[in-house]
Amino acid sequence: MLIELDGALFGYGPRAVVRIHRLALAAGRCLGVFGPNGAGKSTLVRGLAGLLPPMEGAVRRQRQDLRFGYLPQHRAIDPHWPMTGFDAASLAVSAARPLGWIGSEAAGRVRESMRLMGVEPLASHPFAKLSGGQQQRLLLAGALATAPEILILDEPTEGLDVRSRQALLDLLHAQNRRGLCTVMISHAVEDLLYVADDIAWLHPCEDTRQPTEVEIISSDALRERVTKARRAS
Amino acid sequence: MTSPHEYLELTSLLAPSLITAAATGVAASVIGVFVLLRREALVALAMPHTVAVGAAIGLRMGWPGLPPALGAVLIAVLLLARAKRRGTGHWLLPALYVAGLSLSFLIIANSGQHVAELQALFTGIDVAVSPAQAWLAAPVLLAAALACAVLWRRWLLLSQAPAMAEVAGLRTGRWELGFLCLLALVLLVGTNALGALMVIAMLFLPAAAVLPWARRVPTALAGAAGLSLLFLLGGLVLSVEWNLPLSQSVGGVGFVAMIVLHLAARVCG
Repeated sequence: MLIELDGALFGYGPRAVVRIHRLALAAGRCLGVFGPNGAGKSTLVRGLAGLLPPMEGAVRRQRQDLRFGYLPQHRAIDPHWPMTGFDAASLAVSAARPLGWIGSEAAGRVRESMRLMGVEPLASHPFAKLSGGQQQRLLLAGALATAPEILILDEPTEGLDVRSRQALLDLLHAQNRRGLCTVMISHAVEDLLYVADDIAWLHPCEDTRQPTEVEIISSDALRERVTKARRAS
Repeated sequence: MTSPHEYLELTSLLAPSLITAAATGVAASVIGVFVLLRREALVALAMPHTVAVGAAIGLRMGWPGLPPALGAVLIAVLLLARAKRRGTGHWLLPALYVAGLSLSFLIIANSGQHVAELQALFTGIDVAVSPAQAWLAAPVLLAAALACAVLWRRWLLLSQAPAMAEVAGLRTGRWELGFLCLLALVLLVGTNALGALMVIAMLFLPAAAVLPWARRVPTALAGAAGLSLLFLLGGLVLSVEWNLPLSQSVGGVGFVAMIVLHLAARVCG
């Protein structure tokens, strides 16, 4: 197991936001994080990434120096910044460097990752002029260039057309098969059913002073619930 | 028309002012690229007014202007960093702007010559930098520009993917404070030497003129620095030929050039 949570409660200051009874992240598995806006998805992910210490319970890591990667939404990138596809793909690598400088070795890794993702020809194109699918693949190539053990994806398919969405999900699936652990925040049930092995379903408490409870279910259980809900409606 | 020989004489006479103005142009334009891209124009506008409060205290008390101005800027930077963390910058910035403009003149009110000195600090009408001031200001300004330029990937990351930076273990708040300090340093040193108008003009106009043409951040930085020197040269010629104030001439040349470059960028697609 890479990370195990046991009765963990995460929050900010004295305010508890999200409670999770048991969760294990393993290599090659995908955890989907599903729930309404404001339920505490980001807080849960920050807790998993070690950015928030637990207020209660335990977070056990296989090693203290686990490598995390992060894939932002392509729509969160400000198109006014003048940058090429390579600059965008280099964001993750530069984050791991003391002053953000990228040497030839790191640049080589980014280019190799871009080649594997099939986006190397976009290296010198203005990032803002690329399609959403191309932008997201460039960012994914950059995130993978840091060789993460756990990759956090924030709504990665948001705003993508059907083909780009499918292509991205296939790439993620392939990465899982190679042993990468992914944590994917998404509102898209179909995407989660396609790539996730387990789902962390956040149920906000009616009393807003109480933390959101997280239920862990398999993707099969999610499929059953969705089918039932669709029949009922 | 002034002869080349007269220009040469004038340049050697104004050397400290021109060297400081060139260094201010390079530093402000480099930082200005990031200020515009990070949409922090109001920070850059509010800061020189807090410098003016410090300068007014210095004038009133008969102290040198720089130390109280530095104190005022430090307080403003800390307030801004705190406001940014809490998301309250939207009201603090206009408040600092108005407070700086009002308090500085209230502090200095009814003290004759000092009022004119403070007005000159805002408008930069009398640009007269001593050699000692130039020797102090130019290296500091150029060092700030260099630091800001070599960290361009860090500013890009913090603006585009702050969550990625956090996951990578970066203290994003400290980096944001670092940027604010570099900006404050350039505004403080530049305003103290040349007045607020020259610094603000150099901060915004070269960056705004170059951004529609730039494909990468380093290109934008080099272009903005080059344009700032051209604006200074154009402003100097305008100032000498028609006997106009230098800061306003630089601002005017920069503004016209920015409009032309924007239109040209639109025409060229």
